[in-house]
Amino acid sequence: MPGKNLPEIANEPCRRCKENSAALVVRTEPLCRDCFVKYVHTKAIKRLESFRVRNAAPDHHRKILLALSSGVSSAALLHILDHHLKTQKTKTGRTGFALSVVFVGAPDVNFQAEELLAKARDHYPDHEYASLPLYDIFCLVSDDASLLALIRPLGAAPDLPPAEKLAQLINSLTSATARADVISTIRTRLIVEHAKSIGCEGILWGDSTTKLAEKTLAETAKGRGFSLPWQVADGESPFGITFHYPLRDVLKKELVSYVKLAEPSLASIVHASSVPTQASMSSKNTTIDDLMKQYFESVEENFPSIVSNVVRTTSKLEAASVSASDPYCDLCNMPVPAGRFGIHGWGGDQKDGVDGCNKEGLDLCYGCTRSIPQLAIDTNGNP
Amino acid sequence: MPPNPCASCKTNRALILRPKDHSKLCKGCFIDVFEAEIHHTITANKLFYRGEKIAIGASGGKDSTVLASVLKTLNERYDYGVELILLSIDEGIKGYRDDSLETVKRNAQQYNMPLTILGYDELYGWTMDQVVEQVGKKGNCTYCGVFRRQALDRGAARLGVKHVVTGHNADDVAETVLMNLLRADLPRLSRTTSIVTSTPSASLDPNSHTNIKRSKPLKYAYEKEIVLYAHHKNLDYFSTECIYSPEAFRGSARALIKNLERIRPSAILDVVRSGEDMAKLVPGSDEGCGGACGNAVPAGEEEEGGCGSANGRTAGGDMANMEQHLAQNEAAAENGLEVEITSRHINDTHDSSVPLPAGKKGKKNKGPSSTQRKTTKQVMGQCKRCGYLSSQDICKACVLLEGLNKNRPKNKIEVGYEDGQETEKELNSVTNGLNKLHVEGG
Repeated sequence: MPGKNLPEIANEPCRRCKENSAALVVRTEPLCRDCFVKYVHTKAIKRLESFRVRNAAPDHHRKILLALSSGVSSAALLHILDHHLKTQKTKTGRTGFALSVVFVGAPDVNFQAEELLAKARDHYPDHEYASLPLYDIFCLVSDDASLLALIRPLGAAPDLPPAEKLAQLINSLTSATARADVISTIRTRLIVEHAKSIGCEGILWGDSTTKLAEKTLAETAKGRGFSLPWQVADGESPFGITFHYPLRDVLKKELVSYVKLAEPSLASIVHASSVPTQASMSSKNTTIDDLMKQYFESVEENFPSIVSNVVRTTSKLEAASVSASDPYCDLCNMPVPAGRFGIHGWGGDQKDGVDGCNKEGLDLCYGCTRSIPQLAIDTNGNP
Repeated sequence: MPPNPCASCKTNRALILRPKDHSKLCKGCFIDVFEAEIHHTITANKLFYRGEKIAIGASGGKDSTVLASVLKTLNERYDYGVELILLSIDEGIKGYRDDSLETVKRNAQQYNMPLTILGYDELYGWTMDQVVEQVGKKGNCTYCGVFRRQALDRGAARLGVKHVVTGHNADDVAETVLMNLLRADLPRLSRTTSIVTSTPSASLDPNSHTNIKRSKPLKYAYEKEIVLYAHHKNLDYFSTECIYSPEAFRGSARALIKNLERIRPSAILDVVRSGEDMAKLVPGSDEGCGGACGNAVPAGEEEEGGCGSANGRTAGGDMANMEQHLAQNEAAAENGLEVEITSRHINDTHDSSVPLPAGKKGKKNKGPSSTQRKTTKQVMGQCKRCGYLSSQDICKACVLLEGLNKNRPKNKIEVGYEDGQETEKELNSVTNGLNKLHVEGG
């Protein structure tokens, strides 16, 4: 199967250079290590045309932020970008942009994040690094009134330490899906705020083709179809900063191979557990994100082009036009066209009366409303 | 007080865990809330008007039986003032429809509604058994599916009814949303999320089957709740599982929906909501409100795909085919210019997008394919033969009929045309296209 090392191809020559023997099969093509590395680099760099040296004014240095997780994809992207910047420097004496790297620790992660980041810094010392705890969102968001409103009903005092505030919020969520959803939403917001605060014009996300396909279906399933274009397409985001997905044409399994074949090895900046997923679908802790992850990892095995096609086509959805007066969701901060907040007031909502959709003066989009529990207002008597 | 009081009336004992939101209800309250929601869907979307004659597409299955029962109840309770009739289609498969048609006949008596059963033979001149005899067991599902899509419209036109309601439920709609994302079919994604679809009134003939409005009053009702309702109301329906496994795309989507429902009960509704919202984001879509405000959207010749059995003889067949097709396009785009032109392209006239040699950077024309080509809105016209809504010159049913009738020369052909000429013309236009390509490519 593509992307795997197969014993029977060991003697086959690489189809590109026709010299070395193939190390793996990529989308039906047997490739040697060097040609495979070039293949991945080309795909990523092609996505960064706007950051070429010739587009950079000599007196103004453009800065972009790389969001590093402990996963395979963002580690591969860091490696590729470092290589790319070095090549630019050798060829032209300067680079098209400067890279800043940020790592956001998640509350449920217990491995040594700092250690991982220190290693990345060792390997690629030319860039600026920062590590932020997730609860920094309560410090960085300037008008955190809305976020505070989220936890006020939980009885949180405004002067509680940020870490406690976050813990209260996460603990108030009633399902694994909601926790995963809120954590990733906050993570994105934190990275955006950080990028703005250090003067970056854009953010590079490590998402592979496979990840973007997962996201497309997961966000659809979470009722976030309205904001999908802002979550998967390259270009202007509603946050006043550009989003780029340089690895959007590279499959997850290809990046897994890349991490193994790259030199020096990237294994030290990848956290092991983030490689395979074999969660049981019956488990109570399974999330919608897990389900889609598992699904697309199986689809990419036999139908890689279908995965790419999902992403390519979804990226053609046109984001709703946003005017300055459009209201924003208090949690995910996405513009909500015509202020259609909450889960009520549409065809699929059969309760005529609007009960507590605007609880505590919170404006939450459809998707975020599903994740944030109904608190005491729930009339059905559910806990 | 009973140990487990109903969350709604607080007096009776809760016996039902409501699939949609896991609230605990007693039987009476469940039936009330289920009916109230359908009533809400009908009134909020203004589906009916007083004096309207409405045909219920009845198969004898749970969805259409519940639809008939609920509509009868609501029509009486809220005085919609509509006239309800049952319309069934008999594909003409011996032994297959007999039981379900018997069910529909009993329903007609139980609900005191007039029933019309129309056969494929009356509508198309062919029963499915005859089709199978002609084309063999392989691929006959295509015929059945394509014919079925038009059959209700044609049947309604014969009865002088302008509005057909079908039993599509929330699970069906959600499944179709996910399937169209997987198939990367944006135009269909935007079309199928609408609660009302209708063929534009291009024909002046008021009895034409191109003037039929279609709606799905159960669009927001969960399949599990439909089953519960049928059970608690003791409805008489015929449950049969299709003996064929669905196509891989639909099968995948169905499995995902079931898993999603398990993880988060609201997910089915949430997918439907996402589908409605995304319909507004499809490029070229001019329906500003999606399905939300009940604007009529043209019904495509391929809507929700009816029974999930279409084409799906080999597991993963449609997915594997599409994968192969896409992979070839990718390879072609990757390698730049060299595109082998085989006769397959010529036969495959609806796929006129022979991969173009990509320009220097090949950004735009990356992997042209029939599936991703049409992100712009499909131009819906009318079939030149039967007048049915179609994105092609000749609708699929007529194309299929043409093939069937060609091999049955003694049979009178329903629509006159000269087939040889047509094919030749298409061949020519493709060849011309290829010549032009050649020049540009060179």
